Amino acid sequence: MNTAAYRSNIRKLIFMSVLVAAAAAAYMLTDVNFGNEKLFHYAMKIRTPKLIVMLITAFAIGGASIVFQSIISNTIVTPCLLGMNSLYTLIHTAVVFFAGSGSILAVNANAAFAVDLILMSITATVIYSYLFKKTNHNVLYVLLIGTVLTSFFSSIQNTLTRVMDPNEYDSLLATLVASFSNVNSEIILFSLIVLAAVIFVLRKDLALLNVLTLGKNQAINLGVDYDSSIRRLLLGVTICIAVATAMVGPISFLGLIIANLSRQLLKTYRHSQLIFGSALFGMIVLVGGQLIVERVFTYAIPVSVFITVGGGLYFLYLLLTNRRI
Amino acid sequence: MIIKDLTKKYDGKAVVDSVSFEIPKGNVISLIGPNGAGKSTVMGIISRLIARDAGLVTFDGTDISKWKSKELSKRLAILTQSNHVQMKLTVRELVSFGRFPYSGGRLTEEDTAYVDKAIEYMELQEFEDRFIDELSGGQRQRAYIAMVIAQDTEYVLLDEPTNNLDIYHATNMMKIVRRLCDELGKTVILVLHEINYAAFYSDYICAFVDGKIAKFGTVAEVMTKETLSDIYRVDFEIMEISGKPLSIYY
Repeated sequence: MNTAAYRSNIRKLIFMSVLVAAAAAAYMLTDVNFGNEKLFHYAMKIRTPKLIVMLITAFAIGGASIVFQSIISNTIVTPCLLGMNSLYTLIHTAVVFFAGSGSILAVNANAAFAVDLILMSITATVIYSYLFKKTNHNVLYVLLIGTVLTSFFSSIQNTLTRVMDPNEYDSLLATLVASFSNVNSEIILFSLIVLAAVIFVLRKDLALLNVLTLGKNQAINLGVDYDSSIRRLLLGVTICIAVATAMVGPISFLGLIIANLSRQLLKTYRHSQLIFGSALFGMIVLVGGQLIVERVFTYAIPVSVFITVGGGLYFLYLLLTNRRI
Repeated sequence: MIIKDLTKKYDGKAVVDSVSFEIPKGNVISLIGPNGAGKSTVMGIISRLIARDAGLVTFDGTDISKWKSKELSKRLAILTQSNHVQMKLTVRELVSFGRFPYSGGRLTEEDTAYVDKAIEYMELQEFEDRFIDELSGGQRQRAYIAMVIAQDTEYVLLDEPTNNLDIYHATNMMKIVRRLCDELGKTVILVLHEINYAAFYSDYICAFVDGKIAKFGTVAEVMTKETLSDIYRVDFEIMEISGKPLSIYY
């Protein structure tokens, strides 16, 4: 094995972890009043859940993006670009719309999240596995259909909110417009359990990822049950995206940026390293970005704007420089 | 390996129509025929990449669908034409994947020995740390063959291995095929378009037309003026060069 490259990648990952820790410490400990215990506790109470949510989101999106790219064997596609988070927003709206704002599904964040997750898992697996099969993994078709689906889901969601009772809309809005300044921290514990379960159930399939990226024929040649592995991994991706979207709302380009940065930095096929790299990049971008937004710009510009602008430019750069799309 | 009554239909039209033949072990067998004759589909079904509609593919007395995929991958390797790797993968890492059926992701010392041997056999030592996507077509093809060698299977299936290669690389490829059989004792089954490569480098030829076997036999049996003219519907002349029948078509 190429041990020198392997070790240097480990060093890079450790260095990034240190950066994450530094960003997290800076986020938690700058601009607080250490002298006044009450103010200090208040600041911690506000910041701790935000930090945890950012770390979870980065991990979910980073991991999901790498896995998704490897499934479809293309590095410029991410689940968000194909409308997965629009689908989640639509499902969430539809549940409140049909169940009513008085029902337990609208009042209890965890119950709502559980129902969303189940619906999302079913619909996304059906839609996307059909899409991949039908287009024969042709990335241009997948992208095109994904773009259409994104606007399709958003339009339905828009229509639903327009015909909705204003009171119900009001209660929905609080959870719909989740963002990094207004995180949905009620579902932290539940999300952690879900993510841990996903990793545990998929541990064997994740170990197969390296082989799966050789392509369908090679994977089958090497004795891998290709179709069922892909289906399970796609389900895992869906759940990760649902978790991230539920906590901070849709952020289109984050996955694209961090997955590709990780691939560029580590230059390896080993998915254990790629996933960690991607997650760590996500944490640096989110925590660092939020730090700047809160302390430098005093909330004038939300971090998602930076990510979308930066991500959009990066996406164009990848499209134009990548010879083989 | 015995193939019996193999049938595959696409939209109601049979592309493979009750094909039966037996693969003689330890030989090079070429599948030839015009476009759409079903030769690649037969290859896909034999290697479990394509699902069949009817028939049996018996491998060591057991139908391939009853084999555990992992066990089968220690006995039978397939290499298809389209091999695009999006990842940063070096030659050595690619060849190491050939050991996956044996040891999963973690290589033992024995596995490493197999990988070394395969790289050496394909004369890839100087490229072993290069990335696959930086190699030329011929080098990449050799790297994939090395992976198949590392997989250490009795049967090797190659789907149009000479496709997209120039005369030099294609001829080298065919010489490698011969060596796989003669030196390593493998049974090699390949789909070929060039009849003369099939004639020169294989022991048996199986000719397909319209999803059926037109003729299966030794090279000398199949390479006749009449048979080839029937299969390809053009005029053929057969000449003998270095003891092998070669065809000229016009």
